Amino acid sequence: MEGPPVLELRGITKRFPGIVANDHIDLDLRRGEVHALLGENGAGKSTLMNVLYGLYKHDEGEILLNGEVVQLKSAKDAIDRGIGMVHQHFMLIPVMTVAENIVLANEPTRAGIFLDEDAAAARVRELAKTFKFEIDPNALVADITVGQQQRVEILKALYRSADILILDEPTAVLTPQEALELFEILRILRTEGMSIIFITHKLNEVLEIADRISVLRRGKKVDTVAREGATEAGLAQLMVGREVVFRVEKQVPKPGEALLQVEDLHVFDDREIEKVRGVSFEVHAGEIVGIAGVDNNGQSELIDALAGLRHAASGTITMGGKTFEKATPKEMTDEAGLGHIPEDRHLRGLILDFSLAENLALHDYRHRPDSKMGWLFPKHLITRAQRLLPEFDVRGGGPLSPASSLSGGNQQKVVLAREIDRDPKVLIAAQPTRGLDVGAIEYVHRRLIAERDEGRGILLVSLELDEIFALADRILVMFEGEVVAEYSPDVSENTLGLAMTGITKDAAAK
Amino acid sequence: MSDAAAPPPDSGVPPVAQTGPDDKKRFNSQGLIVSIITTTIAFLVGGLVVLATGHDPFGTYRAIFNGTGVTWLIPGYGDRAASATNFQQTLLETTPLILCGLAVAFAFRCGMFNIGGQGQYFAGSYAALIFGSYWGGIPGPAHIVLCIALAIVAGAAWGGIAGFLKATTGAHEVISTIMLNWIAIWIGTYFFGLQGPFVSSQYSPISNTIVGNVHLPVFWGDPVLQGLHIGFFIAIGALVVFWAILNRTTLGFEVRAVGFNPEAARYSGINVKRNYFLAMAISGAFAGLAGGIDILGWQFQIATPDILVSSVGFLGIAVALLGRNSAIGVFFAALLFGALTVGTSSRQLDPSVFDPQLAGNLTLIIQGLVVLFVGADLLVLSIWKSRKKLSFRRKASET
Amino acid sequence: MTAAPITPERTKHWSEWVAAKHIAIVGIVLGMTGGWIALPPVAVRTVTIPLFLSILAIAAGIWAVARDVKRPGWGAIAAGIFGITLALLALQSSDPHLRSVFTWGTLIAATLRYATPLTYGALGGLVSERSGVVNIALEGMMLMGCFFGIWGSATTGSWVGGLLIAMAVGGLTAFIYGIFAIHFRADQIVGGTAVNFLAVGITGYLFIQIYGSNGTPDLTNAESIPDVHLSFLGNGFFGQVLGQLNLMIWLVFALLFVVYFLVFKTSIGLRLRAVGEHPRAADTVGIDVYLTRYIAVTISGVLAAMGGAYLSIGFVHSFNENMTEGRGFIALAALIFGKWRPFGAFGAACLFGFSTALAYAVPSAYTDSASSILRSGALFQTLPYILTLVAVAGVIGRSVAPAADGKPYVKQ
Repeated sequence: MEGPPVLELRGITKRFPGIVANDHIDLDLRRGEVHALLGENGAGKSTLMNVLYGLYKHDEGEILLNGEVVQLKSAKDAIDRGIGMVHQHFMLIPVMTVAENIVLANEPTRAGIFLDEDAAAARVRELAKTFKFEIDPNALVADITVGQQQRVEILKALYRSADILILDEPTAVLTPQEALELFEILRILRTEGMSIIFITHKLNEVLEIADRISVLRRGKKVDTVAREGATEAGLAQLMVGREVVFRVEKQVPKPGEALLQVEDLHVFDDREIEKVRGVSFEVHAGEIVGIAGVDNNGQSELIDALAGLRHAASGTITMGGKTFEKATPKEMTDEAGLGHIPEDRHLRGLILDFSLAENLALHDYRHRPDSKMGWLFPKHLITRAQRLLPEFDVRGGGPLSPASSLSGGNQQKVVLAREIDRDPKVLIAAQPTRGLDVGAIEYVHRRLIAERDEGRGILLVSLELDEIFALADRILVMFEGEVVAEYSPDVSENTLGLAMTGITKDAAAK
Repeated sequence: MSDAAAPPPDSGVPPVAQTGPDDKKRFNSQGLIVSIITTTIAFLVGGLVVLATGHDPFGTYRAIFNGTGVTWLIPGYGDRAASATNFQQTLLETTPLILCGLAVAFAFRCGMFNIGGQGQYFAGSYAALIFGSYWGGIPGPAHIVLCIALAIVAGAAWGGIAGFLKATTGAHEVISTIMLNWIAIWIGTYFFGLQGPFVSSQYSPISNTIVGNVHLPVFWGDPVLQGLHIGFFIAIGALVVFWAILNRTTLGFEVRAVGFNPEAARYSGINVKRNYFLAMAISGAFAGLAGGIDILGWQFQIATPDILVSSVGFLGIAVALLGRNSAIGVFFAALLFGALTVGTSSRQLDPSVFDPQLAGNLTLIIQGLVVLFVGADLLVLSIWKSRKKLSFRRKASET
Repeated sequence: MTAAPITPERTKHWSEWVAAKHIAIVGIVLGMTGGWIALPPVAVRTVTIPLFLSILAIAAGIWAVARDVKRPGWGAIAAGIFGITLALLALQSSDPHLRSVFTWGTLIAATLRYATPLTYGALGGLVSERSGVVNIALEGMMLMGCFFGIWGSATTGSWVGGLLIAMAVGGLTAFIYGIFAIHFRADQIVGGTAVNFLAVGITGYLFIQIYGSNGTPDLTNAESIPDVHLSFLGNGFFGQVLGQLNLMIWLVFALLFVVYFLVFKTSIGLRLRAVGEHPRAADTVGIDVYLTRYIAVTISGVLAAMGGAYLSIGFVHSFNENMTEGRGFIALAALIFGKWRPFGAFGAACLFGFSTALAYAVPSAYTDSASSILRSGALFQTLPYILTLVAVAGVIGRSVAPAADGKPYVKQ
């Protein structure tokens, strides 16, 4: 690890409308090191790497490779200079084979035009062997596991003789076992002289694999530390650096009867993979149950099944004494008394081109007084909006303004207003504060706690541990489709984090 | 866990599906401006084509304009009798265009592209013709109502097939409606062509004529010379129905919701598939009504060579796009294209100024350009914005 | 040692599946045979044999469906029904009638002639859609080639000139469409429809302008693309089919192989398909998505125009307004029916061409039939469209377009 840094970023700044994603960031990467880039969601990590990979153009600053200033105009530029990137969302073509994906745009040919499939397969096998992993060059990408797909992405970079490898949140989609295998591969690559940047927001990984760690916070680089001497607590402090920790004041919960009972639920996704494997739990009146877990461990499918958007293969959902099987969304909202704040408000929660009044009426337009025998009375929609908008502190528009004209936080308030106004017994809140600013987050948290105190049962699903800790009265951890643990909110973050990776005390004992 | 700061990924939704009068996000009040600019550019280019092929663009456009009879609206201008007859023809042409435009517009509001207006139109005309040419014993008004109703049902069924396929199998409505168009054309060629079951005589490919009492009454002009029939009012009524369905019924609420965001609609409990089917059926109903009105109003029979030449369903696409899928827009766009069709027809246009057959094709070129530029709103908008820049620069240099 | 993917217990053992699928395929063959033997040259005149074969076919189909091999199973049932229906229909008409319609030699030759413009169009559509650009404008591009081909031939005095001009105009039209679809990111279907309008208008306008409404004599004298006479084939079946086909038909045979190899066996083709499936992935390995699409769209215009030129200077030897009459759309249908592959599209085009050939052959043989369907022949022309509807509805298996088909690409 001697000599000039193989890569240096000086003063990199990148702006988007309304936000400075990267603010004068300095970073250097030494040859043969694994350098972790740590930060929360929205800290600017992915933007920085997209700048490095030529996909974004930086507004200020310089990039130096081996001491020389370079201009990266495109991904091809970056590739030609030996920078390889493994994106979080894989850039693979499912209907093509592993070999085809790897050699794309640099194909070995016969007579200059014909694709030499055998040579491609051979080259792929050779590369894989050098780095000691197994892959079938002729398998279709659609048919291999996610972990294997990631290896294909790595091979793509190696095939193009990359000597700098960037991995963007690589373990987000892996099982713990696959993650360990990935780290093995990274160690081998490091021995071969590869320099690696590893983007993550997970503290335990960083301590496992990194040589040095740079922490980003809100677009700025906070510090770069060596692994020796770094602790989780110390890193967390740098990452979060909180002046203010927003834990909304809340009373002790007084849970009542069970409003929602889920028993042994099994749900399959669109690709016939079982995503919910026998989940059972209850939500009582006056409590907030938080489901914590890494993304893509079955939470989305669980919510879909509860909301009637997906049919469970087996198991029961009971609300108010009635069992609902193969219910439609309409049945769940109207009969069961379920409210649902969906995960993605732009895609599912709101119709951006509809007015606020229309959005607020999305569940009720079929009934009186909004309509009668199919005939709509817009006046009533407006009246409802006039009542709800001030009550939920929605700013930036009136009943007739299109939902698109509001800020994210206000849009989410509209969704809340719509769901809560129907007086649901149980309210599902999925990632309710994703992408919101601090003020909006505070409002949503306050509101959810207030609704809990009104006697509703709230099921909160969140990827943000802070939110879980702030709101939940009971915490369930989902991992690979099962509820693997239940904790009270005074559990340590460490234990919770481990449980999210499948390591609970019981599992550890096995 | 992607960066919140990163720009949103490109969505695959085609821009046209989200166009409508409440489409403030894309155009704000500039929707109307885009339509006007588009039309102007189209006419300009048309004029260039005329010039490039050795004719006089101004004279040509003036002759076309006079032929439309629109001047009748200006009191005291020119030969009132002649322009009255011309204007009747214009409105006669406008009637089916309004309805076919509504057919396309309604489907667009639900996020679908109904290219099948022509086939749905034919379904309606066949139904009206077949039931109109028998049962002369039924009293006139009842017979008319029956034929119109059947035309609407036939059109709705023809459109509904595409809607049903989309709802159940996900088949793209563009392909299925194009196929259904051609199936309708050949069914008509079979019905009313040589040796077909509904042909009037063995020797000519023409159908029976409808019975006398089922002709739509003419309220303006000479019935013998094809004056304007009450179908025009039916078309105006359809405009109101269109608006009412979309803005005052729960069905319309759902249709619009699905058109803007099918996922969110599904999440709020709307049955998206049912709406696809209903929207296509209602679309087809409008077009079928057009077919029925044309038969009962002035065609009175079908000759198979006419089937292949008929293009009113396709013009409906241009009408809907130019009118930005709103009732008012469709009315004016239909009026424009109706006027253009009449002004360039061989009855109105003086061949010494411009050959009517050429003019017919010129109309097609202009219509094609309208559709092209409407589809490319980015281009039109950038032209609009650059004009503002130009005037701004001039101001800055003057201070 | 990765975690095994979690699969539901619904999958059956693969050997069961394979056996049932074979039985289903046998069923399809039996059903088809049952129908075919009722036609000349075999012309079995009793109903028993076709009925027997059809029952076997239906049984095979039911067997397969029961074992969850749905598509081939339903196919066998359909083939059985089709076979017995065809046999019954054939038995209704007299033997000489049947023989005059089903002289297979001329029928197949006619099929090839009708299928050729469709195949050119379908190949053009294939190249374009494989790059991710929907091409509804095949009809318009074909029409442009149709008119400019014969105009070019009449003007330059040679069919080569005509063909080259047609190709150039087709390419240019496609390029302009490409600008709107790729650069301005206009809705591709709206843009395609516009091009179709414009093509009818422009070709009609120029036709009347240059040749007047009685201009056809000038055009019928334009030099035509020659037929290829293979007299060594004699007058038998092969002679009838292949002995007198136009040069353009032989050219399209060759193009089938060229397109196949280019798209599926070369590196250029790999990049093309990558752009159509996942343009961002292609972008990140350095492929120029825009350039690839422009080239693909332009080529599609050239091919479609060649089909149109064949129509005017190779087949009909004249021009009239809107001459293509929807063939561009049938070509698109053939492409979909053929699952976006060259030989599949050709097969579909032949199937469609066959129904057109029947539509013309049947009425002349059945002038005194009681059925107006047979006397008129027009309903046969609906077959291509009905078949495509069936294909699009996924009844014969999902017809899967390239994943990024129709979505404009935005480079960040």
